[in-house]
Amino acid sequence: MGIETAVWRALTVFRVLGLVYALAVYIRRYDEYAHPVGGWVVLGLMAGWTALAAVAYSRPHGRRWPLLAADLSVAMATVVGTRFLDDVDRIEAGAQTLPVVWAAAPVLAFAIRGGWPAGVGAACAVGLADLVHRGELTVPTANNIVLLLLAGAVVGYTMSLARRGELALARALAVQAAGRERERLSRDIHDSVLQVLALVGRRGQEAGGEAAELGRLAADQERALRALVSAAPETVDGELDLRALLTAYATSSVTVSTPATPVVLAAARAREVAAAVGAALANVAAHAGDAARAWVLLEDAGSEVVVSVRDDGHGFDHARLEAARVEGRLGVAASIEGRVRDLGGTTVLESAPGEGTEVELRVPR
Amino acid sequence: MTRVMVVDDHPMWREGVARDLTEGGFEVVATAGDGGEAVRRAPAARPEVVVVDLQLPVLSGVEVTRRLLAADPSVRVLVLSASGEHADVLEAVKAGATGYLVKSASREELLDAVTRTAQGEAVFTPGLAGLVLGEFRRLSASPPTPAGPAAPRLTDRETEVLRLVAKGLSYKQIAERLVISHRTVQNHVQNTLNKLQLHNRVELVRYAIEQGLDDELSAPEELR
Repeated sequence: MGIETAVWRALTVFRVLGLVYALAVYIRRYDEYAHPVGGWVVLGLMAGWTALAAVAYSRPHGRRWPLLAADLSVAMATVVGTRFLDDVDRIEAGAQTLPVVWAAAPVLAFAIRGGWPAGVGAACAVGLADLVHRGELTVPTANNIVLLLLAGAVVGYTMSLARRGELALARALAVQAAGRERERLSRDIHDSVLQVLALVGRRGQEAGGEAAELGRLAADQERALRALVSAAPETVDGELDLRALLTAYATSSVTVSTPATPVVLAAARAREVAAAVGAALANVAAHAGDAARAWVLLEDAGSEVVVSVRDDGHGFDHARLEAARVEGRLGVAASIEGRVRDLGGTTVLESAPGEGTEVELRVPR
Repeated sequence: MTRVMVVDDHPMWREGVARDLTEGGFEVVATAGDGGEAVRRAPAARPEVVVVDLQLPVLSGVEVTRRLLAADPSVRVLVLSASGEHADVLEAVKAGATGYLVKSASREELLDAVTRTAQGEAVFTPGLAGLVLGEFRRLSASPPTPAGPAAPRLTDRETEVLRLVAKGLSYKQIAERLVISHRTVQNHVQNTLNKLQLHNRVELVRYAIEQGLDDELSAPEELR
């Protein structure tokens, strides 16, 4: 049973108890009323409305504003009606209204349906009816109105909190279910498809020629598929495991090494770091030469994460690097540095001719 | 001829690896399709090197590694597993495996890895180096337990060597860059593994004592 159903059911219980209380109060005092029969008629109408509301509110599509407005009008009418049925002296002496607490039910309904603003609004309306019934603002009437306002505000606010909680819980359960499904899928895929793809990859590369190309494709697909089934979805509080983003870069020429435990960063930061690594790898692909391989190492140093991207390509000397920087030809490197600087981190670039290039990114948590 | 056992639940893969090893001059003394079978066959087959996959039915590759080494500490375990099984690879290494190779490795790399494993050398891929670095970082970052042993630490040089391995440098390249001998690089790598495995054993014994199993310390396999 969800929160909605439970709360609307509780409101029906409140309405029934309120009706019973109103009846009990009236049975003791009906002979003091100016129009006792009229009082019975109103109580009968209240009973009928209680039954009708119980049915109408039990259906989710029944909880509409017109019904709530009618609910509020009925309550106000019973309160104001008491002024014409009861003895004027009794009212002046501070006698209770005919519906007593039953009239608070629509205030709660408004609060449940629309949060604290709706609850407070409905409390004002019923409070106004109380004023009309009494004819002037007295201390007991003011007390009643304050209680109504409090009930409307507190129930409304609690309802919004509960709804948010329920939503978060549902989302957490969905994430959990998705994770379990992913686990099952990854087990199945591991046992079948991935093994065959790995085998094809290896045999193909041994056979050479055209088969080698097919083997390379199979090996790349194996990695891509594995990254896909093992990539963790974003956690509920908007954090990401940087490992999942970086291992997606692994190919037959790119090796990604990470710790065994998650390296969790705020989702936006994690994506920026991954994008910087992607830019570094694009740089390798563009400049290091066709046969170049690359290694990505992710380390969790507590207050910061360290990502190194190394290749075994041509490399370049420092003079050339400076020249390129001055000429603005270091587009990709600049974009890496820019991204990392925006995250409050630092970039170190090292290279020597024939020794490949290494970029080390340090990004604070 | 080095005696090798191959453990993998995928028949095609298992046969392929066994054939490569036979052609490469190794004696494949047994194969097994699940963890239980591997543990049962090993005593009679007496392999020197066991090439083991991690995701196995019945008993996991980690458990197989533990049991094989408990029964015969001289056996060498080389993990040959698909990439991306981080936690399992680390567990296997802590349990005593001395090498790790991804299944996408070439035939030559496999033969070289088995040869080196048989010689008692640690076979590190960049991936394994990353895992071990991460594990030492985790151990030094976690708060020390009063009763527990001090967390093992890497020396600066060991960290440096492991980081270079993780960045894809060969032992030879590392030796050149740090101006040390090839042998020294190997020792540093081997030391990191020893520290991790020793810490793991100490932790297991401590756990056993805490659980009141210290009477059974004479039969270590009972601890597993």
